[in-house]
Formats: sequence, structure tokens, C-alpha cells
Amino acid sequence: METTLIPMQERTGGDRRIIDDLLPQKFGTRGMIWTGFLLVICLIGIYAYYRQLRYGLVVTAMRDYVSWGIYISNFVFFVAISLVGSLITAIFRLADVKWSTPLTRIAEIIAVSAIVFASLIIIVDMGRPERLLNLFVYGRIQSPIMWDVIVIGTYFFLSILLLYFPLLPDLKILARHKEKTGKALNRIYRFLGSFWKGTAAQFKISDRSINILCVIIIPVAFCIHTVTSWLFATTYRPGWDSTNFGAYFISGAFLVGAGGVVVAMYVFRKVYHLEKYITPLHFDKMGKIVVMLCLLYLYFNVNEYLVPAFKMKKPEENHLKNLFTGEYAPLFWFAIVVGMIVPTLILLFKKGRRPVPMFIAGMMIVVGAWFKRYLIVTPTLLHPILPMHDVPENYMRYFPSWEEWAIAMGSLAGALLIITFFARIFPIIPIHETITEEHEKDKLA
Amino acid sequence: MKKISWHKCFLWLALMLFSGLTGLSQDSAKKELLVDLGYFMPANRVPYLKVNTKTKIEKRFLPVPGIRVTVYMDSAENTLATVTTEQNGSARINFTPELKKSWDAAPTHTFTAVSEATKEFDEVTTEISVTKSKIVIDTVADAETRSLRVMVMQLSDNGWIPANEVELKLGVKRMGGELMVGEEESYTTDSTGEAIAEFKREQLPGDTAGNLTLVARVEDNDQLGNLFAEATVPWGMRMIVQHKPQARTLWATGEYAPVWLIATAIFIIAVVWGTIFYLVFQIIKIRKIGLSHPA
Repeated sequence: METTLIPMQERTGGDRRIIDDLLPQKFGTRGMIWTGFLLVICLIGIYAYYRQLRYGLVVTAMRDYVSWGIYISNFVFFVAISLVGSLITAIFRLADVKWSTPLTRIAEIIAVSAIVFASLIIIVDMGRPERLLNLFVYGRIQSPIMWDVIVIGTYFFLSILLLYFPLLPDLKILARHKEKTGKALNRIYRFLGSFWKGTAAQFKISDRSINILCVIIIPVAFCIHTVTSWLFATTYRPGWDSTNFGAYFISGAFLVGAGGVVVAMYVFRKVYHLEKYITPLHFDKMGKIVVMLCLLYLYFNVNEYLVPAFKMKKPEENHLKNLFTGEYAPLFWFAIVVGMIVPTLILLFKKGRRPVPMFIAGMMIVVGAWFKRYLIVTPTLLHPILPMHDVPENYMRYFPSWEEWAIAMGSLAGALLIITFFARIFPIIPIHETITEEHEKDKLA
Repeated sequence: MKKISWHKCFLWLALMLFSGLTGLSQDSAKKELLVDLGYFMPANRVPYLKVNTKTKIEKRFLPVPGIRVTVYMDSAENTLATVTTEQNGSARINFTPELKKSWDAAPTHTFTAVSEATKEFDEVTTEISVTKSKIVIDTVADAETRSLRVMVMQLSDNGWIPANEVELKLGVKRMGGELMVGEEESYTTDSTGEAIAEFKREQLPGDTAGNLTLVARVEDNDQLGNLFAEATVPWGMRMIVQHKPQARTLWATGEYAPVWLIATAIFIIAVVWGTIFYLVFQIIKIRKIGLSHPA
């Protein structure tokens, strides 16, 4: 994407209006209540984690059968939603999709916050966080867990860079509006980007760097989710023993990521009054993408469940029957119907691609996707190929303890808190890029 | 329009309520708890007791953890211990030194286990009677045959006497289990308390000195409980341990990862992280340009 230089003296009233509209705003009453609510959930989660550290993993409901419970489901969910950074930012940027500009930063911050908590929740699942070091000291490169650690760390740094480079021109604009942003925030802006002068040489390096990032982040993003799927697929268990898992996970990740962006688009548009920037056109276009992703994910689901069900091999039988008609059937059909089919039906129609129905469909996709991850991880563990003998009855069932719920919900609240604070400190829609696009439109007009 | 028969309605309501209450009462019925008490004498040393709690659910016996069980010796005044069953439904009771006097007082003792009543289970009492006993393993070897002579003795008021008609298993310890010494699965002691088994396991690998561990075991005997003894004999082949270098495989330890995997991983990591460092360097470059540019 070519960048136009906009010297201060050339700035028009239109530019000033855009800057005024997009500068970060202070929390209102609703913002304070929302932040307080998230903080309370985080604090409950921290207390639950303190209990887990003090008393051990015995405070969870995980036992010898289900050793990957809600934490790993949550981890897979976070990894999935983080893929959106590469979809909206990298793929759209490389494809020169202009309409996606107001959505890029939303997608990038969702990706960063999700990947931060994906890393943290894995440490929570370990039970003994100090043993994380052993992974590096005694790590085996043959293990998919090791690949996951490497690729998550790499994706985190790439996502940070992808967030930072396009932010540089905005930091200069923010630093200039000290009277509106406040002294404390101004210090942050100056620390992060006081060196940005907006020279042609700086833009050239920045644009090239963003292009390189967009190219490299796509395979890394694909790797992160493929490797996460391999954590399961390299294990011989009913429900996981699939060669299709990488593609299945990636399609699901794109869907939940896009659903997450739709929800965030609606909320930011409503709360920060960004109707001029996030328009019904954006919802319409995102709606079409979401329909395509829903259908793609449904296709992979048909492959993952219908083909094994057609063969109904003995080890798969218990697992599949449990999902289709057994204990997990309500959750399974909820994830399929509410998480994929109903959003598709809503978004197929133009009226369904308006902001409010889109928000509802987005919420359905995100909630459905969370439960879908739970269904991928947990039920299969209840049906091992070699059942254990003489285990207590409660080993054969799993329902997360309150500590697990609190930590999982705390991590979700923590991710939302990062997004909330980011939107308070930085512009959630790129100011400089919006101005540049406006200038380009004016030129064309 | 038909008139509503209030009598019939009332009757139906009463019936439904009654059936509901019956259902509730069925749900609240307590399950049956099975308490097993076992006596164990390992290698003729200090005995211990083991209590197991289980219940039958859907035609399967499943362990019941968290049941408090008090175990007495001979009478309720002589409490051995109060234990709580673990996740596998089992708990071990060790004999404390204070009980030595009571233990030595008689050749036969009665142990009683009483489980505490819970919301799910009623109180259950189980009793076993055990006579003190021991196993002695002796071996006979000549040029052609090797045999085990195992003697089971039990204590009586007159001292140690042979225990006849006791079924016992004779094996040789292997990794993860015991191999029968002969073709018989079990042996029975004769009137002299002795059982003889021919050792038919030729060329069995032993330890580095060629030693094998023979095991004699009495299991769940109504009178003697569970007895166990072992003896080491040089009847095996000497094991020569050869330390071969580990092959480079996907299942080897970290330092023996396949070369192709290490090379691929290093290549990918180098490319991606090289790019990251290049991009960080670009930020430094942007910074330098900015600092050298007049404000």
C-alpha cells in the first residue's frame, strides 16, 4: 500500500475532523463499569489461580482420564481467535482490500490479546509454573508441544510488530494532541514514537516492513493453528486421529476470528460513535466473508464427524454416540446449529448483514466456537482406547471445578481488558491511514 | 361442553404426587457399600492391613474414596487406626509399636473394620480372623534338577506348626510380573506344611551376577491372609549390558532428534526470527532517521 505524506500545513478541516473523531476517548460511566466488571472477574481468576498454586491441580476436576480440560479448550480458543490478525491485516493488505482499513487495528489487538492469554493459560494448565524452564532446558524438538511453544512465541512477536509499525504515524498525531489525550498518555506516545517525523524515508522503511510482516505472518499464523491441531492429531485417540485436523482447525479459527471482529466492530462503533468509519458496507462485506467461513467450517465438520460415523469403528463409537445423542449432544448440536448454521442463515440475506443482526450472529459464532473447542478437547479423553481399571467413578466424568471456571473466565476477561485499555490509549481505527484514504478519494473525485 | 370432574382431577393429582414422592424416595435410597479387609505379611516382617471400599454401579464394582473406616484388633477398646479411603478406594493400616504386646499375646487375632455412615452409605462392619504365619523358601539343586521347597508355618499355642492344605503360588520375579517356576499355576502344602516345585525355567536372564528372585505367595487365605516371601538364587543367565548409542529417532531423547528434523527446525526458526530481527533493525533505522531529522 502506498502512503501519502500529509504535512501539517496541508491538513484540511476534514483531517482535523477525522483526528477528533478517532482520538482515544476517556472512559464514560459505561466504560468504567465495564472495566470494573472485567477487573473483578480477573481478580476472582487470580484468587482461583492462587488456590491452584497453593493446593495443586487437585482443586481442578481434571483427573487421570481428563487431563486436558477447560484450560486447554480455552487455549485452543485463544489460538483460534488470534488467527484473525493475519486474516484481516495481512491477507487483506496484501490483496489491497481498501475497505478493511478501519478493521485492521481491531483485528491486530484481538490477535495480540488472544495470543498473550493463550500463552498464559498453558502455564496455568501446567500446574507448576516454575517448571516451564524445563521445557527449554530439556525440550525435545520432536515434540509438537515444543513446536507449539516456539510458534506461539514467534507469532506473539510478529503480531506486536504488525500492531506497532502501522501505529507509528498515529503516535505522532497523538503526541501532537496533548491537550486532548492528557500528560500521562503523552509520555507513552513520546516514548513509543517520538522519533517518527513522517519523512519519506521513514514511510518507505515502514511500508516495506509492513509488507514483509504481512508475508511472513501468514505462514506463521497457519503454523500456529496447524501445530495446535497436531497436539491432538498426533495422538491416537478417537476424535483426534485425523489427517484433516490442520485444515479443520484453521477453517474454524478463521471463522471465530472473523466472528470476534464483527462483535468488536459493532461494540466500538456503538461506544465510540464511529458510524462514519465503520459503515454498513463494512458489515455487509464482513458478513459475506463470515458466511463463506461458516460454510467452509461446516464442510470440515461434515468430514470430521460424518465420515467416521459412517464407518463407526469400535473405538470411535462411544465418542461419536456421546456427541450425537449422548451426554454431550446438547452442547454438540448447540455448537453446530448456533455456532454455524443459524449465523449462515442470518447472514445469507442482505438484511441479516446489517450491524445488529451481524452482532448477534458474531456472538453466536464466538460462543459456539468456545464450546466447540471444549467438545474437541474433553469428550474424547473420557473414552480412552485402553480404559483404566479400578478408577473412581468420578474419573470417568468431567465438569470443571469453580477454580477452573474462574481462571478460564478470568483469562477471557483479561483478554477483553487488554483490548479495552488499548482502545483507551490508542486509536482503534488507524488515523493516518484513514486520512490518507480520504485524500486518495478526494484526488479521484 | 363436558363438565370437569373435580373428583377425577383430584385423584389424578394425588396419584401423580404419590408416584413423584415414590420416585424421590427411590432416588434417596442408600447404595450398598462393600468393605474388604485384608491382612498382609510381606517377607515375614511387619504385617499391615488394607481396607477397600467399593460399590456396585451398573453391574460394575467401582472404588469409593473418602470413606472413614475404623479398624479394631480383637475388641473395640483396641483401636488400630481410623483411616480414610483414597481415590482408588483403598487405605493401608500399619501396626504401631504400642500394639506389640497385644499382638504377641495370642497366635490368632480378629480384626474388625467399621465404616462410618455417610449420606450415600450406611455403616458397614467387616471382620476377619488371622493366624500368625510365615513362609520359608528353601532350594535344592543338583546336576540335573533345581527345586524349591517352600514351607508354610502357622503359630499355635505350642509354637510354630506346619500349615497344611494351603494353596500358594511360586514364581520368579520378572519385569512387571511374576513368571511361574514350573507348569503348575499353584501348589498346595502337604501335612508337613511343605510344597515342592521343580524349577523349569532354563536360561532365564538374571541380573549381572546371574541372580534370580524366587517368590512364594499365599493369597486371600481364609486363615492366614496374604503372605509373601522371596529368595535370591544364582539360577539365571548373567546379563551383559551393552550400552549402545541411542539411534536418532522421533521417539528418542532431545539430543538424539533426527538430523533432518533439527535442520528443518533450525532453518525455519532462522528464517522467521531472522526476519523479526531485521524488522527490529528497521525500527532502529527509522529511529535514527527521525533523530537526525530536524523537528
